Amino acid sequence: MKETRQVSAKRKRFVTNTIVHIVLAILAVIWVFPILWVILTSFRAEKGSYVSTFLPKSYTIANYTRLFTDTTILNFPKMFGNTLFIAVCSCILSTFYVLAVSYCLSRIKFKMRKPYMNMAMVLGLFPGFMSMVAVYFILKALGLSEGGLIRLALILCYSGGAGLGFQIAKGFFDTIPRAIDEAALIDGCTRWQIFYKITLPLSKPVIIYTVLTSFIGPWVDFIFAKVICRANADYYTVAIGLWRMLEKEYIDSWYTCFAAGAVLISIPIAILFMFLQRFYVDGMSGAVKG
Amino acid sequence: MKKHAAILMAAVTLAAACLGGCSGNGTTHTGQGGVQHVRLMVWAPSEDQSIDSGQWLQKSCDAFAAQHPEYDIEFIYGVADEATAASQVAQDPEASADVFMYANDNITTLTNAKAAAKFGGIYREQIESTSSETIVNSLTLDGFLYGVPFTTNTWYMFYDKSVFSEEDVKSLDAMLEKGVVSFPFTNSWYLPAFYVANGCTLFGDGTDEAAGVDFAGDKATAVTDYLIDLLDNPNFVVDSDGSGMAGLRDGSIKAIFTGSWDAASIHEILGDNMGVAAPPAFTLNGEEKQMMAYAGSKAIGVNATSDYMLPAIQLAIYLGSAEAQQLHYELRNVVPCNTELLARPEVASDMLVAAQNDTFDRTSILQPFVAAMSNCWSPVENMGKGIRNKTVTHENAGEQTQAMNDAMNSDGIS
Repeated sequence: MKETRQVSAKRKRFVTNTIVHIVLAILAVIWVFPILWVILTSFRAEKGSYVSTFLPKSYTIANYTRLFTDTTILNFPKMFGNTLFIAVCSCILSTFYVLAVSYCLSRIKFKMRKPYMNMAMVLGLFPGFMSMVAVYFILKALGLSEGGLIRLALILCYSGGAGLGFQIAKGFFDTIPRAIDEAALIDGCTRWQIFYKITLPLSKPVIIYTVLTSFIGPWVDFIFAKVICRANADYYTVAIGLWRMLEKEYIDSWYTCFAAGAVLISIPIAILFMFLQRFYVDGMSGAVKG
Repeated sequence: MKKHAAILMAAVTLAAACLGGCSGNGTTHTGQGGVQHVRLMVWAPSEDQSIDSGQWLQKSCDAFAAQHPEYDIEFIYGVADEATAASQVAQDPEASADVFMYANDNITTLTNAKAAAKFGGIYREQIESTSSETIVNSLTLDGFLYGVPFTTNTWYMFYDKSVFSEEDVKSLDAMLEKGVVSFPFTNSWYLPAFYVANGCTLFGDGTDEAAGVDFAGDKATAVTDYLIDLLDNPNFVVDSDGSGMAGLRDGSIKAIFTGSWDAASIHEILGDNMGVAAPPAFTLNGEEKQMMAYAGSKAIGVNATSDYMLPAIQLAIYLGSAEAQQLHYELRNVVPCNTELLARPEVASDMLVAAQNDTFDRTSILQPFVAAMSNCWSPVENMGKGIRNKTVTHENAGEQTQAMNDAMNSDGIS
């Protein structure tokens, strides 16, 4: 009697698990489906934007080689380089801004602290695109809308507002006990030394988080790049290049290259994430132990 | 600055009127020996500038500079294709190209931003003498001419010669009996061709905004009914998201409707069997009706805020001249529109040129560019989709056609 009950409980668990796994598998397929499709398309040998079969009839890597060799109309390597440069610079700058602002708001009590946080909250409610036209004219007035300075203009655009996104990092810094800071102070540390010798080493997860988000922002941005680059094709970013590949003049011959480009731009993000994920998971187990 | 631009404009029109001799607009610098230093920013599509397709822009600009020793010209090239150049220029005219290329349906974008220079005097006469009246009209707004036309812009039919004869392609019904025809049914640049064929009108002759759109009544309903039946024909396939091109490639489709931008790809697929013709006629209730495509032009425009107005206008005229158009045709197959050039036998015998011009002259209407035209795209697209999805049927065709007409005449707010 006892045994049969045990068996039926086991069976019940098995059935439930099977159902759960089937549902999860279906969801996973649905989720991975578009990505898989883009990857397959990037290796497709048949030309054109429309095919009647899901799986390509023949495969090639010509789409990738074309991206890097056929550069007279759409210079993908250059766009890739521009984007990488802009994204790396913006990432470093924004990460510094975010961490510095968060540290100040978390550790230093000053009169404008609360008003600043409220203001940042309110400003954060507005979409950034609202200021786009104003930003363009300010950059133009500063002479940053022509030539090589366009890169600087874009870096400023992407990193300039970073200080408003301090909430998550500040929340994390708040969890680091003040007692550690005080101990460091007694030992003779300055505020700056506390920041980079004590707080930062304890804050890897949030640094990783900040780095990731501030890299992805400029990496995938289309609208600011479009408004600021205008007709300066030498400074186009990947997003503009990919968009141009889908215009009616190019779509038929560039569609598969577009998919190849889409796969390529996901690589840096994937690498960054895989490399930093380790720290992310480590850090999540708690800021300070003991 | 706007006032400044207006004065400049007036100066240029005046200069143009007195045979262009003087350079008294005050903002240009004359260097040594009477040679004027000029800095001209020129925007064109990237194909016009790439080495692979012959650097039409650079060659033409250099030829222009050689013809004008009185200027010491510094050219700055930028990339902006005809479809987007107007909005780029309108965004900030002062920081935009002096000379740019645009599609005529964007003309109001430019004039609203006061960004396009008007061509007057001898320059206008020169343009009018080498272009057809229709194409000049496509660039004229309130009596002012806003650009130098260099090609026409419309769609027509590409077909497989081994399936259809030259006689067949004059009639859609004859074609549907012989092979599969694909039409961009859900694209509102193409679908109105059927309605216009049966007497529906847009803004009177295309310029009278107050006249509104007339896509209503029995004539329009008859077309909707025809389209519902057309879709039931097994030899008729809807072309969307490039499916027509894919069908041509795998041989399941024998004729598609598109424009010169796809000509190279189609030639690659069909080779010598590629045929090009104006849109065919179709039979509606026993009567032959000619499909009427939307047509426009592409033109070279001059920025109204240019500091070097006179050289800019002269450059625009040169880039639209027979010489530059011929080079454009040789290097990139851009169909010319200069009447002298079109008369030359080697150009006239080109199938693509012949079809595009036949379409422009005979089987098209000028695509209206009045502001209210922007309300006309979605309702037609929705009609196409409705017919495809079978929500528009013979029972409700009248009602649905009327709804389309109402939507085309409304901006959706009032």
